[in-house]
Amino acid sequence: MRLPRVPAAGIGFALIWAFLAVFVLFPLTRIFYDAFTDEAGLFTLVNFQEFFTDRFYLRSLLNSLALGVATVFTTSVIGFAVAFLLVRYEFPYRNLFTYLTMLPLILPPLVGVLGFVFILGRAGTVNVLLMDWFGLSQPVNFMYGMQGVLLVETMHLFPMITLSVLDALAKVDPSLEEAAQGMGAKGWRRFRDITLPLTTPGYVSGALLVFIWTFADFITPLVVGVQDLLAAQAYLNIVQFVDRRIFRMGIVISALLVVFAIVFVLVARQYVAIKDYSSLSYSRVERRRLGPAARRLAVGFLGLLMLFSFIPQAGVVLAAIGRGWALTPFPVEYTLEFFEQVSIETPKFIVNSFLFSGLAVVLCLVIGVPMAWIMGRTRAPGRGSMDALTTLILAIPGTAIGIAYIRAFNYPLPFIDIPLTSLWIILPLVLAVRRLPYTVRGSYSSLLLVHRSMEEAAQNVGATGLRTFRDITVPLVWKGILVGGLFSFITSIQEASATIFLTLGGWEMIPFGIFTFYIAGSQSQAAALGVILIAVCALSLFAVNRMAGTKVGGLFG
Amino acid sequence: MIRISKLLGVMLGALLVAGNPAAAQPIEDELVLVTPVAKTLTDPTLAEFAKFAREKWNVTVKTAALAAGTPVAYGRIVEWKGRPEADIFWGGESALFDKLAEQKLLARLDLPKSVVDAIPASIGKPKPIPLKDPRGFWIGTVLEPYGLVYHPKVLARLGVQPPRDWDDLLDPKLKGNVAQSAPTRSSSSHATYEVILQRDGDAKGWEWLRRLAANTGIFAARSRDVPSVVARGEFAAGFAVPSYMAFEDRLAGFDIKFVAPKTAWITPEPIAVLAGAKHPRAAQAFIEFLLSERGQKVAMERGVFPITPKYRVQGAPGSRAEMAVEFTGGLRSYFDIEVNNIYDDGIAQKRYAEVNSQFRSAIESVWEELKKKY
Repeated sequence: MRLPRVPAAGIGFALIWAFLAVFVLFPLTRIFYDAFTDEAGLFTLVNFQEFFTDRFYLRSLLNSLALGVATVFTTSVIGFAVAFLLVRYEFPYRNLFTYLTMLPLILPPLVGVLGFVFILGRAGTVNVLLMDWFGLSQPVNFMYGMQGVLLVETMHLFPMITLSVLDALAKVDPSLEEAAQGMGAKGWRRFRDITLPLTTPGYVSGALLVFIWTFADFITPLVVGVQDLLAAQAYLNIVQFVDRRIFRMGIVISALLVVFAIVFVLVARQYVAIKDYSSLSYSRVERRRLGPAARRLAVGFLGLLMLFSFIPQAGVVLAAIGRGWALTPFPVEYTLEFFEQVSIETPKFIVNSFLFSGLAVVLCLVIGVPMAWIMGRTRAPGRGSMDALTTLILAIPGTAIGIAYIRAFNYPLPFIDIPLTSLWIILPLVLAVRRLPYTVRGSYSSLLLVHRSMEEAAQNVGATGLRTFRDITVPLVWKGILVGGLFSFITSIQEASATIFLTLGGWEMIPFGIFTFYIAGSQSQAAALGVILIAVCALSLFAVNRMAGTKVGGLFG
Repeated sequence: MIRISKLLGVMLGALLVAGNPAAAQPIEDELVLVTPVAKTLTDPTLAEFAKFAREKWNVTVKTAALAAGTPVAYGRIVEWKGRPEADIFWGGESALFDKLAEQKLLARLDLPKSVVDAIPASIGKPKPIPLKDPRGFWIGTVLEPYGLVYHPKVLARLGVQPPRDWDDLLDPKLKGNVAQSAPTRSSSSHATYEVILQRDGDAKGWEWLRRLAANTGIFAARSRDVPSVVARGEFAAGFAVPSYMAFEDRLAGFDIKFVAPKTAWITPEPIAVLAGAKHPRAAQAFIEFLLSERGQKVAMERGVFPITPKYRVQGAPGSRAEMAVEFTGGLRSYFDIEVNNIYDDGIAQKRYAEVNSQFRSAIESVWEELKKKY
């Protein structure tokens, strides 16, 4: 089918491209322009020369890569084990665990690492107990250093692997494994030769996301005093404006983050391109019942894992209700004053969060659903680039996008003579761009489940392409789209990396509020606001889960 | 929501070229600060100002503070290019204010002569600290020392006496237990690095700072994090901490102590109205309020000192003001004592980038080696 020759569709197509050009391509080119010029605007390679001859920057680069690889390794081990248990075996509380597994993902930036520090820091619960009970004179350093960052990222991100693998595992045709078994391949061999290759595409895309997330996170390392990582350097250099040279190096590092993101996507390209979605039919999986010992082991493992991954939530809740909590295992004095204090501004934060995230989701749907349709149902020119661009957005660090926006849209717009950076609409815009890939992928995979013949039938009786889309396709896929939309909403409402650079007074969303309280030194208030955000997100996630079951995993692919 | 209506207002204004009905009011009903001063000081002063405006002019002022570290705030003001998103810049080094005035990004202050005259031109010897701009672009608001903090319980466990001066932080028993913020990230840290460099001279000063780095357990991302981590007992002592930030942690119930060594730099926390501010009258009114007795009182209850000899930190026994006096070592006003200042802001500003890059190469990039060496 060719792109329908209806003017409306043509205009829509053009508008989508215009949107992508203005809000994705243009800002990115702008930071590359900055990276390749000096203060006078003349072309130069000095910035890159400085980066690649500076020991500290090079060490940051190596550290970032090493941390990314290490996190992928740890999340994979945990994520695979959990996914395998949940899909293949039947044991008590399996459904509960399926839901709980996703919860660590809804840990807003900053809140997670703060929670860990409250429990595992040098004066955290664990160390205080060790010192009080076992007479340790120096605390054990769990948090301050790379090991702390690795711990936080692992406990936060392993569900991403679980979800991607869960999704892929559920789609593996059991007959293939049965066939292998019939040929004598058992246990590990069957897993290695059949199951693993079939789940690889799902896994690789999950791993890519884990890698890039870790690569781009600057908040976690900063809280535990790690500054020799690329994203941390980008942030720290940008937020100090006085020294223009350091400032420019921040932009250069952001540009490098984008370059690396592109490289990673290219490396993983054959797995993560949207086209390679092979089968989307979920197979009926026969779950094996576990024996009593194995059952206890499975429940024990998952229970322990959940307990561990809820450390941050526990820490944050305690910090939010504890007063003057220091050097005791638990707060001595309890209070609700921090909730009271944040409640003055919280309504504004909540309203802003819902408004901006909501608008972002609407934008995502308006642009993303037609994009998915163009990719899945038409042979319009440029589909390939659209797909590539979507994948790329998924990979670009939020930090880099935020910086790109502030550099690109700091000039007065025509007609109204106000720069876009002075209009709050820039927040929903940047959020929409960040979440667009989720919507496109969610809609695309739902679209693949709709048999082409239904649309063809409509067209045979005279419906135009657009009409078919509206009357046949959308009603059939709305659920998938809605889940995609809600998922975009949950992740938008937690977003901080891109918005931190763009927020002005009065536009603060909850994560920015948490960040402001934190940098103002009011960790208890930050924690209180964090508890509120977690509650909001958990409720939304619960809704998504009810609607979609475990199929949410498909969105990560 | 305010933004939507503001945006609509701007658009309508552009279309109709209509007059502004708010012009009839004595002050505008909105005020935005951009400031490195922490929320815990800005929030109460803004709240009290709003109360004051309601009483005096019956105007309900909607206030907001854009929190940003000194360099960020400065950078944003420069990037705004005279079309600021805020009305007032409060806090930081006076040299930065001079730089902004040079770029014509500040509006001249319009304060009653008596208010300006109540503030001495400078304080301290041998290097006087300017408290107001002779050309009238900025004026000091409070006096606030950058000192050191410690947690008594953690120190006791380590068997270390409470520190009195900067040099006490080099105690080998404190290894891995000192918190500081990099001078590239924090203006209070930068100023205190300069204090050490100007006290000891370059060679000995950097050697001292390298030793401090060897004792350091965390380079916090911001100066505000330094007292936080010490208050929670994560680290034993902190370097270059503004007094009121530490006092906030004390007010929050933490057992944290503050000491201002003799050579501690004292900032006057300058304030200025931005050129092109949308609410210039509210901005001027806020500054005048801040310098009045009522404004100074609010600040004095948060752990900073009055900018004029007219007032002293004082309150009923057990009051917050008295708590602050006890916290800062019994001092009620910097005009009661001889202020010993060796920090020369002129020198500091001239070599600002140089000190930063020296820090990066001689300390930050070899931190692990320093820890092993000393």
